[in-house]
Amino acid sequence: MNDRAFRDRLVVTVAVLIAWQLAAVAFGAHWISPPLATARRVLELALNGELARHALYTLAAAAGGFILGGVPGGILPFVLRRAPRLAAVLDPYLVAAYGMPKLALAPLFILWFGIGLASKVTLVASIVFFLVFFSAAAGVRATDVRLVAMARVVGASERALARHVVWPGAVPYIFAGLKISLSYAIGAAVVGELISSNRGLGYLIQAGANDFDTTTVFAALLTLTLLIVAVNALVETAERRLLRWRPNDAQPARRLVTAA
Amino acid sequence: MSDATVLLEVRGLGRRFEPRAGGGQAMFAIRDLSFDVRDGELLTIVGPSGSGKSTLLNLIAQIDAPTEGEIRFRGEAIAGPNMRALRPGWDRQFGYVTQDDTLLPWRTLLDNVLFPLRVQGRLSAHTRERAADLMRAVGLERFERYYPHELSGGMRKRAALIRTLVYDPPVILMDEPFGALDAQTRTQLQTDLLTLWSLGRKTIVFVTHDIAEAIALGDRALVFTRAPARVQSEHRIPIARPRDVRNIYLLDGFAETYQRIRKELS
Repeated sequence: MNDRAFRDRLVVTVAVLIAWQLAAVAFGAHWISPPLATARRVLELALNGELARHALYTLAAAAGGFILGGVPGGILPFVLRRAPRLAAVLDPYLVAAYGMPKLALAPLFILWFGIGLASKVTLVASIVFFLVFFSAAAGVRATDVRLVAMARVVGASERALARHVVWPGAVPYIFAGLKISLSYAIGAAVVGELISSNRGLGYLIQAGANDFDTTTVFAALLTLTLLIVAVNALVETAERRLLRWRPNDAQPARRLVTAA
Repeated sequence: MSDATVLLEVRGLGRRFEPRAGGGQAMFAIRDLSFDVRDGELLTIVGPSGSGKSTLLNLIAQIDAPTEGEIRFRGEAIAGPNMRALRPGWDRQFGYVTQDDTLLPWRTLLDNVLFPLRVQGRLSAHTRERAADLMRAVGLERFERYYPHELSGGMRKRAALIRTLVYDPPVILMDEPFGALDAQTRTQLQTDLLTLWSLGRKTIVFVTHDIAEAIALGDRALVFTRAPARVQSEHRIPIARPRDVRNIYLLDGFAETYQRIRKELS
């Protein structure tokens, strides 16, 4: 990021804070907790350890579901590539299951798995699985047939083909799916906690709202947002490392020589 | 040369493409196509674009199966309507340099060149040395660690060529490999190809729509008809080797061969 973009972003941040403050004044601090009070509450909760306790619980549910859903979701398209008949049979079921609103399953998961971590992990996994699956499937479908033909001609086995041609080509798609999944994962964990829990940021929001304590609600929301931004930055760093081979769109591909 | 052994025989070959859903009729890209390729020769094939030249190479490379006729390699039938499974590259006997360079974008230039050796399980100090020699021969040694998108079209073509040479297939199929390059780069690559060929004496089938290129490179040039492609005529290229590709127009025999082929193509 260059200095210019950084400065512009700072301006936007200040504008948002001013608008927030004005809204708090206009509608009353009782309904909209002003920025300073919210920040103070975040600090309070951070100092007495409550924030970490709730945030870690939410993160654990999100991360558990992320792995439980994301890993099979990422692998299944590669299996189906080798089994086109199975893929054709499963396709309508996968599409139907994807279309079903998973959040509506939350009460059922809580019935089955209790109000502990397991029900939230399951809820998150049921959402992340489909997001990652369909992105990875798009990546597998987008495999360049010319590269596949080349690899076969030079003697690549089906396994080598999957590992050296199909997989690297699908990685950008999988990352796109993972990035979308991240905020959904944290979101789903929070919804699970809203419905029934005694811990987590979702619980904190619910508890705050029950006490008409909007400052706590806002503090929890602010923490959630910061959490998502931080996790997203982590994934982007990993993505940049793994996709070094791609032309950087921010700057035109650096050509070493124009004429060979 | 005429008594050199025949390596590849194409007999009555045909490939029909079914009509697309919603209209059109089935059509043959090539039909009733027969010719021989001799061991160690550089055979060029010229024809109007869309005359099924790429289809032919795909059939030989076993990426695609013929509708009729057969292909024999060292006397053994390798493709025909009765053979079901394709074996792309026929166990590394056929190298294939396509129109697009088909380098893997996520591998550095060196890793692309080593790719065939890696998937064949033949990476060793010896084969790595061979790859390095070839890279040096075409001036790529300084660009080993760069990704394909960072390099020029000419450099990518060279890498694609080296990638095929590195695992030493006895037959190399080339489909207008220098098509999209500027004239100067193209001449340089043609020179490189002839140098590499004179060192290894592989059998090369080189497809092009450029008559001058077919003459500059080939021992023999086949002229194809419009689709469905058949061999319209065969021309021995009377120009002695080694040839100076840059000044090929001035060499004895060029102008006359060029005129002959041009007349047939028009």
